[in-house]
Amino acid sequence: MSTLVLLFNLSLRNILRYRRRNFFLFAAIAVAVGGTTLSNSLIRGWQVSMLETAVSGLTGHIKLQAPGFADDPSLQRAFSSDTQISLSQQIPVAGVTQRINLPAVISSERETRGVALVGVVPTQEDISLYRDLEIEGEGLTGANDGRLLIGKALAQTLQTRVGRRVVIIVQGADGKSRERGYRVSGVFDAPMRWPEKVLVFTGLDALQGTLAGDGLRDPITEISVVLSNEGDRAAAAAELAAAHPSLIVQDWRQMQPQIAEIVDMVEGVMVIWFFLIMSGLTFGLVNTLIASVMQRTQELGMLRALGMNKRLLLVQVVLECVGIMIVGVVAGLALGIVMVLALGDGIDLSAFSESVEAIGISTLLRPVLTVEDLLLFGGLSVLVGFFASYFPARRALKISPLMAMNR
Amino acid sequence: MLGLGEFMMMLPLQIAGFLTHKSLWLFLFVALLVSAIGPALAANDPKASDKEIDVVALVSGAIDQTRGKYSYAEMSMLIKRPSWQRESTLKAWTRGREDALIRFIAPVRDAGNALLKQGDRMWTYTPKLNKSIRLPGGMMSQSWAGSDFSYNDMSRSDKWLHDYRLQHVASDTHDGKAVYVIDALPREDAAVVWGKEQLRIREDLVLLDLTYFDQDMQPVRHMQALELGELGGRVMATRLRMRELDKPDQYTELTYRAMDFDVDVPDRTFTLFSLQSGRSR
Repeated sequence: MSTLVLLFNLSLRNILRYRRRNFFLFAAIAVAVGGTTLSNSLIRGWQVSMLETAVSGLTGHIKLQAPGFADDPSLQRAFSSDTQISLSQQIPVAGVTQRINLPAVISSERETRGVALVGVVPTQEDISLYRDLEIEGEGLTGANDGRLLIGKALAQTLQTRVGRRVVIIVQGADGKSRERGYRVSGVFDAPMRWPEKVLVFTGLDALQGTLAGDGLRDPITEISVVLSNEGDRAAAAAELAAAHPSLIVQDWRQMQPQIAEIVDMVEGVMVIWFFLIMSGLTFGLVNTLIASVMQRTQELGMLRALGMNKRLLLVQVVLECVGIMIVGVVAGLALGIVMVLALGDGIDLSAFSESVEAIGISTLLRPVLTVEDLLLFGGLSVLVGFFASYFPARRALKISPLMAMNR
Repeated sequence: MLGLGEFMMMLPLQIAGFLTHKSLWLFLFVALLVSAIGPALAANDPKASDKEIDVVALVSGAIDQTRGKYSYAEMSMLIKRPSWQRESTLKAWTRGREDALIRFIAPVRDAGNALLKQGDRMWTYTPKLNKSIRLPGGMMSQSWAGSDFSYNDMSRSDKWLHDYRLQHVASDTHDGKAVYVIDALPREDAAVVWGKEQLRIREDLVLLDLTYFDQDMQPVRHMQALELGELGGRVMATRLRMRELDKPDQYTELTYRAMDFDVDVPDRTFTLFSLQSGRSR
């Protein structure tokens, strides 16, 4: 133990002896680790944002639909609004909502567009992006409100506005198309652009009244469930599938596999990014340590001559290397945390709204810092330092008292 | 006599007195009477006397004027665009207000293209594909055969009677005959995007102008009868021009060459089979 303390002191002194050189090394490590922390927190923020977007777009964590609806979205593939959703007590539910979601055509005096006509119960929609809409004019007053809520982008395309009438054509339960005039009650501004272009909301009861045929009295095409914990997803889906054998139960990963894929990929991206930065840094570290070992040839040779064995010498060099790394990493993590806190409100990307949406996130990129990430990348950095010390240590081991005398 | 100043000072008293006086009730009674009879009196005003006309009869008469029980027409259509124009010839058969078959016969490139209307359903047929396609609802507002007419213009000829409230708003004259200007205001849930449509119908049931207004009540599209004449024994617009008002240098003109209202069109004309067979008859 006392040997270890001795070696530690020796290492510390060696580090302190070359203040200037080691300061720059510290600074390089600190900036690199700080930068990685920041970029990782942004990537993590992107991941969280994408997850939220995926779930809060009308998908929810779990969605129930009639078989075949995905291939042929029509009211012929609807089910009854009497369908009850109940989950066991271990799985807390944030909200459940019923909807009709059908492809439709909307026309104004000047333009015609394809949209998704969504009949909603406004009070149940606090689990979807509906709650985040900024509405100009009036929102829907209830499920029996037969007016329309359309997106700002769509309103611009159609050259219409609040209080105007538009015509919606949608296929009814009997397969015949229903064509009807609707008044626009409000124009909504969504955090992202696609809902503004595609989604048209109206009251569920009112829409059922318009579309109903001889079949179901109160048809709905989907039930969306949002859980309190995303982790309960699989268990909840299994329970719902057992309770509703006549319906297709899917979680958001199945419905939006591309987003699930990207969310999974993010972990990989973070590790790759980390190793890119760290490998650059490692060369600097190795270079500095090799230089310091070479400089100390005589000193190390003398230590060997005095009876310090190779193993202790190895430990000493490794300690020196890891020591530099630990100090640098701690400073770097602190720097990273400060930078993340400074960015606390997120980066406003609304100027790049179009391209930002292509990667599936909202226009405010908020960094997310997790203790796991900090520990993981701090630990990995130190580990990298440990392996990097192999080269200077090998160099140090080659030094013999004879070599030292020849210098 | 009281001076003005004294009168003003007494004004509150006067008002208080009036309010408690019998004359208040008399005043109210008179006011009620005027408000009840006023409109009736106004209606008898000679300027508004044309209100007596039956707008529904007038509009349905104008619709039937160019259709009849059966009709057969030969017409040419000129599509004018800033950089090009195209003239084609077509034939049309109609049965009542509901059914119609329109077939291009020239130029060769378009010959055989046809449109069948059965009630509110429509099919197009292209000989090159040898296929008839049912028009989905979403396509009804698209242009028909590249012209300024939409499929909606071709269908629902009696829409004014179902989906609109008709109002006679003004009158004037044309060639010595009375012309009635009628506003057609779409009903609240009617599948109509326009703010209103304004028809000018002459007393002999000729539709002279049809203007589509947006919901700001600004005119957007305008169909005008450029020439009137007698075809098939009826007075009708023989040359019609449809244009969008924000595109001044383009329009579509439809000229009737021949028209026959006494023809007996076989019912099989208005079938999918007939649409797909026979280039022209």
